[in-house]
Amino acid sequence: MSIIQVANLKKSFGSLDVLKNVSFEVDKSEVIAVIGPSGSGKSTMLRSLVNLEQINGGSIRIQDQYLVKDGGYASQQQIKAITSGMGMVFQHFNLFPHLTVQGNLELAPRTVQKLTAGEVRRRSQELLGKVGLADKSDAYPARLSGGQKQRVAIARALMLNPAILLFDEPTSALDPELVGEVLRVMKQLAEEQMTMIVVTHEMGFAREVADRVLFMDNGEVVEAGTPEQIFDNPQQERTRTFLNRVVRV
Amino acid sequence: MSVEYLVKISKPMLEGAGTTISLFLIAIALSVPLGFLFTLMSRSRFKLVAGFAHTYIYIMRGTPLTLQLLFFCFGLPMLPVIGEFLVMDRFVAACLGFVLNYAAYFAEIFRGGLLSIDKGQHEAAQVLGLSRWQATVKVIMPQMFRVALPSVANESITLVKDTALLYAVAVPELLHYTLTAVNRDFNLTPFVVAGVIYLMMTLALTLFFKFLEKKFKYE
Ligand SMILES: Nc1ncnc2c1ncn2[C@@H]1O[C@H](COP(=O)(O)OP(=O)(O)OP(=O)(O)O)[C@@H](O)[C@H]1O
Ligand SMILES: [Mg+2]
Repeated sequence: MSIIQVANLKKSFGSLDVLKNVSFEVDKSEVIAVIGPSGSGKSTMLRSLVNLEQINGGSIRIQDQYLVKDGGYASQQQIKAITSGMGMVFQHFNLFPHLTVQGNLELAPRTVQKLTAGEVRRRSQELLGKVGLADKSDAYPARLSGGQKQRVAIARALMLNPAILLFDEPTSALDPELVGEVLRVMKQLAEEQMTMIVVTHEMGFAREVADRVLFMDNGEVVEAGTPEQIFDNPQQERTRTFLNRVVRV
Repeated sequence: MSVEYLVKISKPMLEGAGTTISLFLIAIALSVPLGFLFTLMSRSRFKLVAGFAHTYIYIMRGTPLTLQLLFFCFGLPMLPVIGEFLVMDRFVAACLGFVLNYAAYFAEIFRGGLLSIDKGQHEAAQVLGLSRWQATVKVIMPQMFRVALPSVANESITLVKDTALLYAVAVPELLHYTLTAVNRDFNLTPFVVAGVIYLMMTLALTLFFKFLEKKFKYE
């Protein structure tokens, strides 16, 4: 059963066609790794799923509801309802610097969902424990390492119980020695059957954790398949060229 | 120079300082929120609203505060027909002038604060389901005020010193009583006393803003 269906997605910035005809589906509990060269449209594709970019054509269907159907968007209210099922983790964390770790986690549930303070507190403590930061709940983001910040960002996204988590290069801004701690948390989420789309340059992670890999180039999904198919036996010349340029895995 | 003399001249000067402080408090309390309102207006989607805010800020920052004060105190009543209804107590008129002038400066300071906030903050708030308004109030405004704090402190100190412009519209304040004493006694001590009083006021402000900056350090 697919939880995300994207069909013929088109997006341009002025005269630049960034997404040309992107189609793919994601099944529930699947982990999708999106790889491809810089400027190929990976971020734009991901961002259009949560309505951070408005597309110019095509359809996006999430949990059986159309966010966009043939280029026509749902109502503001529907858009809100549909995107509320998704969480997003950004390359640069985008934590709120004026709030503590706990404040970052609790802001949305308390303003948006109107849950009681007790319920929210229990959940934030639980999630901070899960990402290994139970002792940092009163710290401000400025006092955290990059890896810690990204784990807070993941916990913050999980606070709203999303059905789908989107990651846009979650480890690209990290020092190499901090990448592992973030990937471990993501791996654990994958084991718990979270549906995830991960734009990444970590080929090791893509191979090990992803169920399917999408290779994007120049605004198109050039090739999609299992990690074995993509990494060991790519069918397209462009995929081969790209993989030859990145580190062998 | 005796202690008695100091006490004698200080009494009216401190009274004058009371007027100075009142003006300062009124001007700060009203121009900060008004300034923020102009910031929001200048970013409005409605061209007319944004245009009005930009023009307002341009005029208030582009003309001398003294001219504006003279205009409010003595110019407005000269307007045909409605002028007679615009005769205000001069202190009130001066307050109005200060509020309207400083609002323009604070608007620019807050606008700078807004510009300094990363686009990712809006995006994170949006993805977490906050409405535009919730994001502005809970995410953007606190950060904007934090960024603006040093400039607000600076502007407030300027405001303390600008209160001396009340002299130009003949509202008796610290400087007025200082000059009265100087002219009467032919002695420069009152100038020094006035300087010390201004310094105490700006010192108090400086300490207050240092405290705020520390409190809102977010570390
Ligand atoms: N807001 C924007 N305005 C104009 N052009 C944009 C905008 N955002 C992205 N682009 C352009 O769209 C193209 C695709 O960008 P996108 O960020 O989706 O690529 P990407 O695959 O995520 O690249 P990277 O690996 O560098 O993150 C690029 O050429 C980029 O310059
Ligand atoms: Mg990108």
